[in-house]
Amino acid sequence: MSLLRAEGLCVTAHIGGVKVAALDGLSLALAPGKVLGLVGESGAGKSMLGRAMAQLLPPGFAVSAGTLEFAGQDLVAMAPDKRRALLGRQIGFIPQEPLSALNPVRSIGSQFAEHLRRLGVADWRAAALAALDTVQLPDLLDRFAHQLSGGMCQRVLIAMAFASKPALVVADEPTTALDVTIQARIVALMRDLQIAQNTAVLFITHDLRLAAQVCDEIAVLYAGRVVEHGPADVVLAQPLHPYTKCLLLAAPAMSGPRQALYALPDQMPGLRALAEMTGCRFAPRCPLARDACRKEVPALAGGAHKAACPHIAEIGKIAVSELAPAAVATTGETLVSVRGLGKTFRGRFGRKPTVAVHDVSFSIAAGEFVGVVGESGSGKSTLARLLMGLEHKTTGDIHLAGQDVGRWEAAARRLRLRTAQMVFQDPQSALNPRRRVGAIVTQALEAVGIGLAERRVRAAEILADLGMPQELADRAPSQLSGGQRQRVNIGRALCLVPKLLVADEIVSGLDVSVQAQLLGLLARLRTEHGFALLLISHDLAVVRYLCERVMVMRNGRVVEAGRTDAVFANPQHEYTRELLASVPGPAILR
Amino acid sequence: MPRWLRDTRVIIGLSVLVVVLALALLAPLLVQATPDEQDLLATLLPSAWAKGGEAAHPLGTDSLGRDVLARLLYGTRLALTVAAIAAPGAMILGTIAALLGGYFGGWVDWVIGRAVDVWMSFPPVILSLILMVGLGTGSRNVILAIVLVDWTRFCRVLRAEVLVVVQRDYVTAARLVGFSHARVILREILPAIVPLLVTLLTLEMGIAVVVEAILAFVGLGVKPDEIAWGQMIADGRATIYQAPINLLAPVAAIFVTVAGFNLLGDGLRRSLDLRLVEGRG
Repeated sequence: MSLLRAEGLCVTAHIGGVKVAALDGLSLALAPGKVLGLVGESGAGKSMLGRAMAQLLPPGFAVSAGTLEFAGQDLVAMAPDKRRALLGRQIGFIPQEPLSALNPVRSIGSQFAEHLRRLGVADWRAAALAALDTVQLPDLLDRFAHQLSGGMCQRVLIAMAFASKPALVVADEPTTALDVTIQARIVALMRDLQIAQNTAVLFITHDLRLAAQVCDEIAVLYAGRVVEHGPADVVLAQPLHPYTKCLLLAAPAMSGPRQALYALPDQMPGLRALAEMTGCRFAPRCPLARDACRKEVPALAGGAHKAACPHIAEIGKIAVSELAPAAVATTGETLVSVRGLGKTFRGRFGRKPTVAVHDVSFSIAAGEFVGVVGESGSGKSTLARLLMGLEHKTTGDIHLAGQDVGRWEAAARRLRLRTAQMVFQDPQSALNPRRRVGAIVTQALEAVGIGLAERRVRAAEILADLGMPQELADRAPSQLSGGQRQRVNIGRALCLVPKLLVADEIVSGLDVSVQAQLLGLLARLRTEHGFALLLISHDLAVVRYLCERVMVMRNGRVVEAGRTDAVFANPQHEYTRELLASVPGPAILR
Repeated sequence: MPRWLRDTRVIIGLSVLVVVLALALLAPLLVQATPDEQDLLATLLPSAWAKGGEAAHPLGTDSLGRDVLARLLYGTRLALTVAAIAAPGAMILGTIAALLGGYFGGWVDWVIGRAVDVWMSFPPVILSLILMVGLGTGSRNVILAIVLVDWTRFCRVLRAEVLVVVQRDYVTAARLVGFSHARVILREILPAIVPLLVTLLTLEMGIAVVVEAILAFVGLGVKPDEIAWGQMIADGRATIYQAPINLLAPVAAIFVTVAGFNLLGDGLRRSLDLRLVEGRG
């Protein structure tokens, strides 16, 4: 007897007069006390199931076919007040953004009280304290959300979700907004509570490895269809569907030989594109696809481990080669030399000053890729901004190409223009929505007054470098996909062929397959242009893939630095060890 | 067709304004009478359709026997001229201050911000009256007074918008690829605030029409030989019981013109503001 059962569930969206199945024939079953992972990249429709349960589908979306049952009751046809009675009692939700899920103007206690009174608890205070205790939080009932960290807020929400001892908890990307070390703790906590209360959990995530760590079973979703479904460890160890396999090969690993990343072309089709698609929705990107795939929809077949692909016998053909060491002639010339760098932000309105960066010293040789890892608030972004002259240093020296910068503002600016460029994290914010792609990538030429004709030529070169079609030069950033936008973002920095690129979290927030494309692009551009890179990232695997050296930062200090393989294989500092242990995935895959 | 031209408010507002503009330009063709020609034998004539009215004076005459319709149409010229010059003037002054303050921040922003605070602490009508007393009457001085009083409206609203745009990474990125401050402001920030600018400008034109009328009404606006709606209201007020149309006609003219500007502004705001557009899907 399964607790949650979906049979042929279809969620249809109306887009410009066309009906598109955002969820197409979803069939799942979740047994009591089990954890089911719903894994997919953005646009796969993985949040639709949770939304369909609560009848919170976006405008224009509706359940059009199939059934969705909770403990034998039809959730779709159920009367609204009956459904409301279930939600929050029998079915708990853990949201993605803990900070925005809590009301900022009400104390944690009053929000707890509201929830517990609804459950009919007489002594809410004692019950709330007990619930907080299960998530290892002290009495913070009188505090407000903004006084807590993101991880604490998420723990409060987990405590609330589990407070009613629900039969089912839906967790929609519960750790995406959190740091890796906190993610590890939250996930462990959820797992403990789930086992203790024998709760079933629907765990929605984009991270296949995290899902494998948390879940008993995994369903991989692609463009609204389940393409693979099976026991978590089996799916991860022996994926049957080409998409799952490609996804696994696209994510850089934390152990074993450094392998090239499998770069899936393009991206998941949007709802509009799906309207015109027949056959297997993965076929346009699939390395095993043949004509028949584009005509017939493959059925999900198999026993305990099912896959929706007729060519599972050929799955072994999808493989990646071992990564050759970067063929870059490093002259050994020092490009960046930083000594005793410090930055203290003045405390305003009587607050204490904040030390963002403290006594940091390092150097980067020409052509060298250096990674900086650490949690949010560790000072890694401030370090990048100091290098680029976007913040004024408090102490220390920065030498760029042998010259001291930061003393004479105008001279330093000229020097930086020729040697260093920065790639920003969020292409949405980093690309002017009112400009064309061609104009954005040649901004540096515009700055020195170079004519339109010459800029067009250079724009074409840069787009070719980025592996983007020429006609995109006349598009606006809003017409590009997320991956293309981030390429344009990189292209702008490359326009004057700088010796150093400073990249701040440039792949965070991107899907794994898009991330693989970008990392491959950076590796290729490196061999072509031979620039050095300071890569700031919270993702250790990305740093391991790209960088020869790594610096681990915590609270504004560099706690450990050295060759990447050495640091990751044999971490000396306690914090580095903690970071490494937090990387998601079953131990075998780390 | 651009999105803003499909908005009903924009269409109505623009149509009203086009008609008003046409009436102003074609005034000599539409009425035979000249607006300042007095006929003391035919004062306070009622409108043509009322008893005792004359076809030569469709809306009758005022207390000096001047044709009301002619004065109304010629008065449109002044109202539109003031709107067309004073509003852009205030916009330019306010936009420059907002861009400088919002972009550079620090003491520049402080000085501009405090100047705006002090300016806005005066009631705008009182401030413009004081200015007119100092400057003397005349349409040029009316325009100057409106510019000097109303630049703060632009400055305060636009500065907030500039502060949002400056936070975006593309502004920093433009600096890093070597854009000068002036180029960053002109190429990256100004285009982003243009939608708001256009909206504010339209609304300000409506305000300029009202302020011009107020100044003319209290006799501190244009010179007595220039024709202004405000003057007509002041004249008509004395004879409101004998000839109500002398008062109602200019009031209606101001109402229609300002409504046209406001509808246009409101429609532009709804169709140009990305946040509102996206909110409606």
